[in-house]
Amino acid sequence: MPKILVADDSETIRMLLRTALGRAGYEVETANDGPTAHSMAKDGGFDLIILDQLMPGLLGLDVIEQLRDDGVEAPVLMLTGVDDGTTAAESLDRGAVDYIRKPFDMNELLARIKSRL
Amino acid sequence: MLDIRIAEIGTFVIYLTDVALLLLLVGLKTIHRSRMRDHDRRRQEYLGVLSRHVSYQDCTDPITPRMAGDSAFLDALIDVREVLSGYELANLEAIVAEHGVSAGLVRRLASPFPLGRRLRAAVALAEIGDKTTAPAMIHHLSDREPDVRVECARGLARLKWTAAIDDIVARFAIEEAPVRARFADSLVGFGSKATWPLLAYARVNHRAEDAGPALALRTIGRIRDLAAADSIHQILEEGPSLEVTIASVEALGVIASPYSVEKVEPLLHDDRWQVRAKSASALGQISEPSSVPWLSAALRDVNFWVRRNAASALAQVPTGIEALYDALEDADPYAADAAAEALADAGELVAARRRVSAGSSGDEPLLAHMESEA
Repeated sequence: MPKILVADDSETIRMLLRTALGRAGYEVETANDGPTAHSMAKDGGFDLIILDQLMPGLLGLDVIEQLRDDGVEAPVLMLTGVDDGTTAAESLDRGAVDYIRKPFDMNELLARIKSRL
Repeated sequence: MLDIRIAEIGTFVIYLTDVALLLLLVGLKTIHRSRMRDHDRRRQEYLGVLSRHVSYQDCTDPITPRMAGDSAFLDALIDVREVLSGYELANLEAIVAEHGVSAGLVRRLASPFPLGRRLRAAVALAEIGDKTTAPAMIHHLSDREPDVRVECARGLARLKWTAAIDDIVARFAIEEAPVRARFADSLVGFGSKATWPLLAYARVNHRAEDAGPALALRTIGRIRDLAAADSIHQILEEGPSLEVTIASVEALGVIASPYSVEKVEPLLHDDRWQVRAKSASALGQISEPSSVPWLSAALRDVNFWVRRNAASALAQVPTGIEALYDALEDADPYAADAAAEALADAGELVAARRRVSAGSSGDEPLLAHMESEA
C-alpha cells in the first residue's frame, strides 16, 4: 500500500485528505507544520509527499529544498492557496513534481497522485 | 470616631465588590473557554463526518437535525466548502439542501433576534453559497442592519447571482459612504456583468451628486472592463464635477485602454491641478509612447504634484526614461528636479553610479544634479 504524507496546517485539509486518500487505498500520515513535515518526510519512507506552502515553522518551498539536500527523492506535490505564478514556478524549480491550487477538485488530485505512483 | 468607622466599612464594601467582580470575570472567562473547547471538539467531529460524506457517496454516518443546527457544524461545513471544488462540492451542496441548513439560516435572518445572531446567519449564508438562498439574500439587501445588507451583497456576488446586480446597484446608490464602499467590493466580484448598471447609475446621477457616481466609476476601474472606457470618455465630455472627473480619469488609468490616451492628454491642460496630476498618473498607467511629449511638457507645470506625477509616469512609459534624461538639462530647474527624482526612484541613479565607477561616461548630468541636491 503506497504511503503518503500530507503536510498542511489546516485541520480541514488533513482530515479531508486522510479520509479520501484512505478510501482510495493509500496509507496516510499527517503533519501540521513545516519542521514536523521535514522530519517525518526524511525518516518516514513515504512514496509521495503533499505539501502546503504556508505552514508554521518552515515554508513548503524550504521543506522541499531541505528534503532534496537530505537526499529524499519522493515526489512532492504542492497543494496551496498561494495563487501566484512565481511560487508555482519556484516549487517546480526546487523539485516539486506538481502544483495544485486550493480550492481543489479531489478527483483531479487523486488522478495526479495516481500518475506519480 | 464614627466617621472613621463609616470610612472603614465603605472601604470594606468596595473591597468586597472588587473581589466579587473579579470572581465573576474569572468565572465567565472559564465558562467561555470551556464552551470554545467544546465547540472545537464538536467541529472536529463534524469535520470527520463531512469528510466521509463528501468522499463516500454511500456514507451512512447520520447527520441529525440537532447536528445540522449546531454552529460548530456550520463552521465545519464552511471550512470544507472553502477548500473543495468539483464533484465533492456538489456532494456538500446536497448535504446542505437535504438537512435544511440554509433554510434554518434564512429563518434566523428573518427572525427578530438581535444583530449578532442575524449577522452570523448572513455571514454563513454568504460563505455557504447555496443558490436557493439567493431570493432571501436579495430581500435582505434592504435589511434594517447595514452589516446584514453588506453580507447579503457579498453572498450574492460569491454566487455570481447576476439577477441581483440591479438591486445591489440600487442599494449602492442610497447607502452611506462606508456601506457603499463594501457594496462596491461586492460589485467588483460580479466582474464585467456589473459594468453597465454602474455606468448607467453614474451617467444618470453625476450631475446631481458626487460621491456615489465617483465611487461607481472607481468600481468600474477595478473591474478593468475595456468596454467601459468609451462610456467614461462620454462622461468626461459632459464636463462633470471635480470629484467625478478625477474618478473617471483614475478609472481610465486602471482600465488602460490605448483609446483613452487622446481623451486624457488634453486634461493635462485642465484649470484644476488635481485633474492635471491625476491625468499624468493615468497616462503612466496606460503607458503609450505617444504621451511622452505631453508628459514632458507637464514636467514644467506650476504645481509640484503635477510635475512629480508626470515624471513618475514618464518612468513607466516606453522611451519615457530618455525623456527624463533630456529633462535634466531643462532650463526650468523644477522640471529637472522632478526628472532627477523619478530617475532615482526608477533605479537609474544606482545604475548611473555603477556605470560611472565602471569607467563609462554620459551619466554625469544625473549624478551632478543629485549631488547638488544633496
